[in-house]
Amino acid sequence: MRWHAPADLEEALLLRAVHGDEITVHAGGTFLGILMNQGLIAPPALLSLGRVAELRGVTIVDGWLRLGAMVTHLEIERHPQIRSGWPLLARAFSVVASRRVRAVATVGGVLADADYASDPPAAMSALGAQAVLRGPRGDRSVSMEQLILGYYTTCIEPDELLVEVRVPPAPAHGVYRKFLSRSSEDRPCVTVAAVRGDGGLAVVVGAVAERPQRFDDLCGLDADGLGDARQRRELAEAYAARLEPISDVRGSAAYRRRICAVEVRRALEALAA
Amino acid sequence: MTPDPRATGAQRYSVDADMPGQLHAALVRSTVAHGVVRSIDTSAVPPGTAVLVAQDVADLPLYGCQIADQRVLAGDRVRFAGDVVAAVAAPTAAEARAAAQAVLVDIDELPGVFDALEATREDAPLLHESLSVSDNEAAYFGIRPVRGTNICHRFRIRHGDVDAGFAGAAVVVEGTFRTPSAAHAPMEPHATVGRFTDDGRLEIVTGTQTPFNLRMELAALFGMDEEDVRVVVPPMGGSFGAKTFTRIEAIVAALARKTGRPIKLVLDRTEEFVTLNRHPSIVQVRLGATAQGDLVAKAVTCWADTGAYADCGPGVAQKMGFAAPGPYRLPHCSVDAYAVYTNTPPNGAYRGYGAMQSIWASERTMDMLAAKLGMSPLDLRRRNLLRDGDIYPTGETMHDTCFAELLERAATAVDYEADPTGKGLSLIMKGMQTPSRAAIAVEREGEDGYVVRCATTEIGQGSRRTLQLLAAEQLGCRPEQIRVPDPDTDRVPFDTRTTSSRSTAMMGRALVVACAALLEDGRRGYGEISEPGGLDPDTGQGIASSHWHQAAAAAEVSVDEETGVVRLARVHCPVYAGRVVNAPGADLQNEGAMFMGLGTALFEAIDFSQGQVTNANLSDYNIPTAEDVGACTHELVEREGAPIHGLGETALPPVPPAIGNALASLGIELYDLPMTSERVLAAIDRRAAGPVDAALEARES
Repeated sequence: MRWHAPADLEEALLLRAVHGDEITVHAGGTFLGILMNQGLIAPPALLSLGRVAELRGVTIVDGWLRLGAMVTHLEIERHPQIRSGWPLLARAFSVVASRRVRAVATVGGVLADADYASDPPAAMSALGAQAVLRGPRGDRSVSMEQLILGYYTTCIEPDELLVEVRVPPAPAHGVYRKFLSRSSEDRPCVTVAAVRGDGGLAVVVGAVAERPQRFDDLCGLDADGLGDARQRRELAEAYAARLEPISDVRGSAAYRRRICAVEVRRALEALAA
Repeated sequence: MTPDPRATGAQRYSVDADMPGQLHAALVRSTVAHGVVRSIDTSAVPPGTAVLVAQDVADLPLYGCQIADQRVLAGDRVRFAGDVVAAVAAPTAAEARAAAQAVLVDIDELPGVFDALEATREDAPLLHESLSVSDNEAAYFGIRPVRGTNICHRFRIRHGDVDAGFAGAAVVVEGTFRTPSAAHAPMEPHATVGRFTDDGRLEIVTGTQTPFNLRMELAALFGMDEEDVRVVVPPMGGSFGAKTFTRIEAIVAALARKTGRPIKLVLDRTEEFVTLNRHPSIVQVRLGATAQGDLVAKAVTCWADTGAYADCGPGVAQKMGFAAPGPYRLPHCSVDAYAVYTNTPPNGAYRGYGAMQSIWASERTMDMLAAKLGMSPLDLRRRNLLRDGDIYPTGETMHDTCFAELLERAATAVDYEADPTGKGLSLIMKGMQTPSRAAIAVEREGEDGYVVRCATTEIGQGSRRTLQLLAAEQLGCRPEQIRVPDPDTDRVPFDTRTTSSRSTAMMGRALVVACAALLEDGRRGYGEISEPGGLDPDTGQGIASSHWHQAAAAAEVSVDEETGVVRLARVHCPVYAGRVVNAPGADLQNEGAMFMGLGTALFEAIDFSQGQVTNANLSDYNIPTAEDVGACTHELVEREGAPIHGLGETALPPVPPAIGNALASLGIELYDLPMTSERVLAAIDRRAAGPVDAALEARES
């Protein structure tokens, strides 16, 4: 197996353009390591982004948060401006796995892996984040719904790299809930990210299906966006009814549907409070 | 004090052991749960790679520590997904793994059976056509295979007249309880390096808790004298029962025989899940009492699913059986325990060895009985618990009992009497390996040092430190003056094994004898302790355990009734130690056992689909983490003049029923482990649906 460790983004993009599918991108390596250890993949070559300084920045431009693809979960969790401006995001990244994992796992990695059982995708979706993909044809910016197509599947072309994540100014109110059915370091059984602002209400349920689930057509409610207790309960139940949850070791489909009704309602209650 | 080498990283484990000129091995495994091997195509294996196939080991007999039912390689029949059909050896581990993947195995699938009860049906696929008991030391207890069936051992206790007992009972409760398979999940996987020397001896360096059983088994396999097999055991990075009897050592030896080179084999994490797991169990309990709450009769039937090969499953089933009466006076009791083959990976020793499974069932049943009697579960236990001089259903007269004190300490820890809501208790006893023999030699070394030679292995439980402390106390020196080298069967006297919480109790006593002999001799001393015993497998009469491990637990919980999530406010375990030798070590043993008990209680389970493990990694298989165990506390109960009691496992079995009984106090009745939030929610639904008389009717999907 060959290990490529380019020193800058240009070289990384060149390697990606030349090798395409033959080279597997290595960011934090936490998920890739599991897949390789289990023998599920055996990539002939790895492209490590560890030395690419351009991918490590956290900046705020015109009120938008820009996260380089190699920014770690721990950095997002601890960054003072993210904590004050995008608390939902800081929260979602702070509950991933263990501190050891968060110290190396990256924002680019978790989105490009598109693992259904993770926290950040639903949070990013609720916040309306965009992923910047760069390749020989230039940059393109895609929403989370465009990025994540299914289980471990994204719209990233073999010659592209996910280089940055851009998060618009956060709505005034946001809630992130992670529901665990087993140990405190487990992957989520159900997650709910809910935000309310000028753009109305957005509710995204994660870890229950191949990609984050959002049903914007259900999120009308009243002018204030949250209705009364009965309406919130009905919205949560409508979400649960619309889902087609999976079954895995963290819970059956039927259980996930029930938890979804509870957790969405609790998220809405927290938003309303 | 010198820093602990485990903390500095200086410790060398079995995975670090190497032999000059070694090749690295990798295994080729069956992908189906039951089948006939049609062909093994090794043509794609790169040249220079050694391949071991069934024909290479056709001259070696069947082996197995209790039932001789296993071949070094599976041959033309595979019995579980993961059964080893071939092995390769190459200069590097990576080359070996690649070569193993290049071996193509063609298997015709046969119908499989994956549940112990289904495996006892007449029309179930038969795993082994003939069953013969091994002549290994570990097959010491009158094993009763039922030929022509999947039952490789049945054990009975007959005490009093159970029918008459139930006829006289005012109240009877019954239930069926299940526990799943579980992974030991030690940090260090199985690791072995071995060679045949120029003078024809077999040398094995391996992580094992059973060096002498292993030596015996390898000698029998390769037709050698036991003295010509040498087993050296470096410290292990955890085991919990996983590294017992012959695991990968026979394959390593067979590859070494074929290649003439030393062979090293280290399993990966995925392979750990198909190497040795905990026995899934089904336990049926029927318990009767007078209207006043005096127990009069108990009938228990247990099925221990031992997987595709027996390993020590007969022993596990037997221990499940003789732990079934529990620490209560029972005038009438019958127990039937079965070890049953299924097409799943072999199950074997696991911390708590069979006791956990029947304790879960029995202690839950005690609370069901208390509810039916309208009596406090605490008072029911107080009224019936065993005291010195009482007779256990095996005919043993109880001595050095501590149940009353343990129960009161547990109840006090959660203020049970003030308000039992959301609280649960359990009271347990489990046996120590009996019969049992330990021997040890102590010699002067250098100016002011001593060396202690014995077969007690260091699993991470701190046995070395305990031996140092005990020897220093006896010899009047500092623990640092005592050297305890790695067990080496060429240099240490026989010991039964490092299992069942027996080492401090047995080897500790042998060490006291050896130190006294040294002080007399001036140069060297030898000590040996032997505990006779054993049970008649047809009646269960005899001596099950030379002393009994005793503990209680109390749990206080709250439940999110919308999600079924259980929050632990407190789990407290008082454990009877008799006398504590190594206080920090004893604390760590108790804590570790409780944490494993917590995982067993709440979420640990190997998940199977038609015999295939679906969660063979530590992301999909969860063990408790630091944030999960904050509610756990424990205490060690000592008594003036009491002997040392083993305590390596004791705090595990009481944890699940204490939590289960705490849930039951809220009307949430669980019969199966683990008590996942999903199962708790289903039990909340059942409570809402109204009372159910029999657990049998409340079976979950």
